[in-house]
Amino acid sequence: MRVTTVLREAARTPLIKFIGKRTIPAILPATVDHTPTAHPASPSQTLPDSFAAYRSKAQQHGPLNNPSRLSSLSHGVIGRTPGSALGPIKPNKGEFFDRVELPVRFHRMPWTQAEIDAVETGGASLVP
Amino acid sequence: MFRSILPRSPQAGLRTAASQVVSSNAVFTPSVALLRRLRRGYASSSDEHDVVIIGGGVAGYVAAIKAGQEGLKARLSLTTTACIEKRGALGGTCLNVGCIPSKSLLNNTHLYHQILHDTKKRGIDVGIVKLNLEQMMKAKQTSVDGLTKGIEFLFKKNSVDYVKGMGSFVNEHEVKVDLLDGGEKTLRGKNIIIATGSEATPFLGLNIDEERIVTSTGALSLKEVPKKMVVIGGGIIGLEMASVWSRLGADVTVVEFLNQIGGPGMDAEVAKQAQKILQKQGIQFLLGTKVTNGSDSGSTVSVNVEAAKGGKEQTLDADVVLVAIGRRPYTAGLGLENIGLEIDERGRLVIDQEYRTKASHIRVIGDCTFGPMLAHKAEEEAVAAIEYIKKGFGHVNYGAIPSVMYTHPEVAWVGQNEAEIKASGVKYRVGNFPFSANSRAKTNLETEGFVKLISDAETDRILGVHIIGPGAGEMIAEATLAIEYGASSEDVARTCHAHPTLAEAFKEAAMATYSKAIHF
Repeated sequence: MRVTTVLREAARTPLIKFIGKRTIPAILPATVDHTPTAHPASPSQTLPDSFAAYRSKAQQHGPLNNPSRLSSLSHGVIGRTPGSALGPIKPNKGEFFDRVELPVRFHRMPWTQAEIDAVETGGASLVP
Repeated sequence: MFRSILPRSPQAGLRTAASQVVSSNAVFTPSVALLRRLRRGYASSSDEHDVVIIGGGVAGYVAAIKAGQEGLKARLSLTTTACIEKRGALGGTCLNVGCIPSKSLLNNTHLYHQILHDTKKRGIDVGIVKLNLEQMMKAKQTSVDGLTKGIEFLFKKNSVDYVKGMGSFVNEHEVKVDLLDGGEKTLRGKNIIIATGSEATPFLGLNIDEERIVTSTGALSLKEVPKKMVVIGGGIIGLEMASVWSRLGADVTVVEFLNQIGGPGMDAEVAKQAQKILQKQGIQFLLGTKVTNGSDSGSTVSVNVEAAKGGKEQTLDADVVLVAIGRRPYTAGLGLENIGLEIDERGRLVIDQEYRTKASHIRVIGDCTFGPMLAHKAEEEAVAAIEYIKKGFGHVNYGAIPSVMYTHPEVAWVGQNEAEIKASGVKYRVGNFPFSANSRAKTNLETEGFVKLISDAETDRILGVHIIGPGAGEMIAEATLAIEYGASSEDVARTCHAHPTLAEAFKEAAMATYSKAIHF
């Protein structure tokens, strides 16, 4: 049997090869490019300009807004690496975020007149 | 003091909404309650869902289950994957009004037809055979109900939050759900997956009432067998429904604009053979013919047709007209205008190679984006999309997605057809093997059809496999695996296949491709 196999393989190399257990996660950062490209089933094989425009408009905040990091994220390649690869977003010891540096959704909301009235009247203005 | 009655940030309001979702599945232990209270003080809400999936069809529910399996789920009993479905039942078109109910009807009508017409030569004498259409429909519904309830169980098992309602985007991170039970809630998602599927394309000038002028949905629930039926469109859905009602006694005419049945992808040689067999079963075909208009004002529906290239007009009368001219993406009411996502000229959402829209946390999978509208393609995309979110990589090989038409005999194919390969300029070899030379097909008295295998003349790598014959839908799995692995026809031919099986025909076709078949 073994001899037969050897003889057969001497004459023919199967196209199917055992490549071993897949280890993609271990080599992921180096091999996978996440830069947006056209979907393989897209008939036009192009992406609308809005994809690049949206990404170039997107900004990193806090510690990710680091000039040395941004230099590696030149226009058009934002999205190449996952956010997690950019490093921790925790500030260094002694560093603090300023709320205005964060996206708008984290900003303090302006006081409404109803709220001001509620504070000034001790809540009485809320009573119908 | 006022914090509890006057939310100070949009986050606070959203947390309240999200916690309503959680409450249905949450375990109310003191530790969880304490955890929630502690979380309220942070600027970023930790109650938001990791993944919000809009659509509970094949793409959506598979994504939800995979998300649960990948750990995007219960953390201290707080669900972090939500799936929104407006139908009130999971499984989408496939389970409720598509693949599953049609296979139930195809299987049972085939049995009925076989008992009526194909028992004597097998040595079986049967007495009076009667159709009980109501019971046949009940059997269909039992299959559907069992499967949809099975998915609900899998949702619970994987801690997926099932939200019954119609979802629409408020902004890029928030989806408002109009609940089926009344009221609304807003879900916030770090990642949002759109999996809203597709709907039957209507035919301009014919008003679909799902009783006399029907789509595939109505064709699966007719209350009686029509005397005459016209099917507009000779694709897979049209031919499967034509088979069902023809077997039950309807006089069926299929009108197809192209000169070939089967729709895109089906090999011309296979399509020709399929038409011949279906004609023998009683289905009539008008190929190269277009429907110009129709009217349902009379006791029957009349449809005017003429040759696609122009010619004499002809009127077809029918009790039921099935419109099966294709499907189109379903994104109505999704609020895409609120987030500015692009759709192409055919209504498909535009995505990149990782299913991302221009807003990278919003992904689209299944029928509402590129690629063939097939349930198994949607499933593959669902798994890949979650893996992209969780691990950063995913895999779908669009060159190895099988197609199956569940008529009798079945038709199945994967890879390229001969015309496509010829057009690409690649030199190729073709191997054919007929089921009439296969021992198992002979014993089953089902010898119609053949296996056709196409490989690269230079490398012998398999480029396409086309099967018409008994069990084609099962056999195509082996061909798909061969293409996925990049196998040569010789690889398949040298692989031992059990005897006597229909799969031997596949092996013999592979032998015929690189050398010669033994039994033909």
